[in-house]
Amino acid sequence: MAAKKVLLAPLDPVHDVGLKLVKRALERAGHTTILLQPDLSVDEIVQRAVEEEVHSVLVGRTLGYNVPEVLARLVDVMEAAGLRGRVQLGVGGMAIRPELAAELGYDRGFGPGTSPEEAVAFVEGRAPVVAEVMSSRDKGDLTSGYSYRVHDPGLAKTLDAIARDTIEWATARTSPAVERGRIRRELINSAIALGYGRMSPEDHATLRQELLDQYLGHCDRQIQGFYRRGERVARTRPLSGVEVAALEQLVARTSGPAQLKPLRHGRTRPLVFVQYGTGCPFMDIAHIHVAESWGADGVVHFDPSWAARREGLMEGYHTHEQDGSLLTYENLSRTSASRQASTLWQVRAHRGLNTPETVVLAAAAGADLTKVNIAYGSLGAGTDPERLAVDGVECMRLSAEAGMAFDVVTNEELCGVPAHKAFAGMLIGAAMAVRLGARPILQPLFCLSPDVMINGQMDDNFVDYNAAKVMALRRIMDAPIWPGAPIGFLTHTEDRVQSATTTALHAALASSLDVDAISIASTDEAYSGGAIAGGSRVDTLRATAEAFRFFGRTTIAPSPRAEEWAAQLVEGVANVLGAVLSRGSFVAALYEGILGSPEDGAYPGRAGRGTVWLR
Amino acid sequence: MRAKDRVLDAIDVETFLVCEHEEDARTVALALAADMGLRQADIVFVEWRGLGARVRIRAYVHRPGDRYGWMHEREGGDGVGGQEGPAGTA
Repeated sequence: MAAKKVLLAPLDPVHDVGLKLVKRALERAGHTTILLQPDLSVDEIVQRAVEEEVHSVLVGRTLGYNVPEVLARLVDVMEAAGLRGRVQLGVGGMAIRPELAAELGYDRGFGPGTSPEEAVAFVEGRAPVVAEVMSSRDKGDLTSGYSYRVHDPGLAKTLDAIARDTIEWATARTSPAVERGRIRRELINSAIALGYGRMSPEDHATLRQELLDQYLGHCDRQIQGFYRRGERVARTRPLSGVEVAALEQLVARTSGPAQLKPLRHGRTRPLVFVQYGTGCPFMDIAHIHVAESWGADGVVHFDPSWAARREGLMEGYHTHEQDGSLLTYENLSRTSASRQASTLWQVRAHRGLNTPETVVLAAAAGADLTKVNIAYGSLGAGTDPERLAVDGVECMRLSAEAGMAFDVVTNEELCGVPAHKAFAGMLIGAAMAVRLGARPILQPLFCLSPDVMINGQMDDNFVDYNAAKVMALRRIMDAPIWPGAPIGFLTHTEDRVQSATTTALHAALASSLDVDAISIASTDEAYSGGAIAGGSRVDTLRATAEAFRFFGRTTIAPSPRAEEWAAQLVEGVANVLGAVLSRGSFVAALYEGILGSPEDGAYPGRAGRGTVWLR
Repeated sequence: MRAKDRVLDAIDVETFLVCEHEEDARTVALALAADMGLRQADIVFVEWRGLGARVRIRAYVHRPGDRYGWMHEREGGDGVGGQEGPAGTA
């Protein structure tokens, strides 16, 4: 590439920094530049272009008034001087719209946000190299490097005893969900065997019918009606053959190489997760693609809350007309296939009556992560504690077998349960998981919880108490931490700017605390009038990227209150765990309010009560 | 092919309305949406202070489960939303 001579001229009374950045980039690329002073007339600029015999003229315009007139006059004078056609002419700056520049006869217009590289590429007559966009990224493992050691020997003993007893108790029992999970696995395996020609269609049909009969023996009437009589479940609709074909095309289009914007600046964590669950597989895939393209490392599947109260799951491709996307192997496998290979995917199994089957489906569809928490699911999400304890242990076992890590979420804080009680439940879940060979991830909430509102820990700032939670957990166990879900819960409003800002600030705090991952909301988090819009996901991802850029590797310093609160949390957790151990039963402790009481705002769930039996 | 078909889901209009109070802002915002041809518009956010209100109006072009114009156009076929019968299961 021969060096070019480029005239840089501001069409403003003062210099715009943009031209200086372009000058530096051009010189680094080996070109010669002449940067004129500001406030010259158009005639003076063109005269210098003639005298210097330049290859290119790049002018900058920041001020917004008279832009078309000034730019048009420059083109006219260039024309009169015989330069048009011989000299490249480009214009850039805050006041420039590329379409206006093209209309006026400029070879290129550079709008706000243009990189110096784009100007260099223009001068050199080539396509710009877009350095900030990747075509792939590494898939993160949130759990690597953690020992799960409980630092205090006394607490370690307590947790281990509770975990051991609960696993022993649950292993002796089963439930409709545990049985359905087992049968669903056989159904999937038989379909795979058929697909690979290891089973004849006749044998498969016989086996499938046999398994379905067993399955339906553990389902409620609505799900039985769906399978036996083809009855449609309320608010759902099967996709047509045409729709499924279109879905395949969409999967093919979105799973190809994408331009992925990096989110973090100078750090390798936290990984950023985005929650989706529009109800429709098409829209889910579109939202996942948007999230990936704007830098999300992972996505979290949300299913409908009503479906968690049904005994049994549907099959096939289905759309749902409200929030939450239906859990079927078909829906999940297409969603999974649409994502980039590097995108982590979580399917939640933390509440309701179908948790083991959900883990089976998630594993079969290729999920990287799931979500399990007996305490939250039974105290804050309406599932009977005994039932969820049996199902939850099975979920942990299945997760361990599938190599899927899971977070142990503490959403009972949103009901009003104080953090130390929620943490105790979470740590029991984590200890059980470790005993079962699974890889748990602690998920404290970064939230303005009812307990915090009453007791004032966030009256002054949102930093200290959220930091205290992370500090407390680190003092108790060497485990990965993934605040959520989403960060800033209950601080969002319907104002787009406020919502993006609070997410970004919580993300910055999480980054400063060096946690492993975060889940972020969209700016539609507090809007209840309709579905979350794709653009609102871009809002918070952009804001988060900006916060990461702003803070880089520097840290936010919490006040000494964070230390005090962390110590109080550790002590509170130890007291609650001691009470659970004294009670002699984790499940009884759940019913009796030791891990969150009606006074706190937690009520033992009733869905699935009386459905557990001894093996 | 209408440009509107390319909208993934919703059109948001953000503006500042000169108005007397918040209720006035809501009325004017919905009237503005109607003037712009936005059907079934909703007000996502409104904040009134003295001179007027900052407002965000939303109208969904495609709701989850709808027939999506952007699929129709891209694939060049009949698009999605047909009802000739459920697809098979695994």
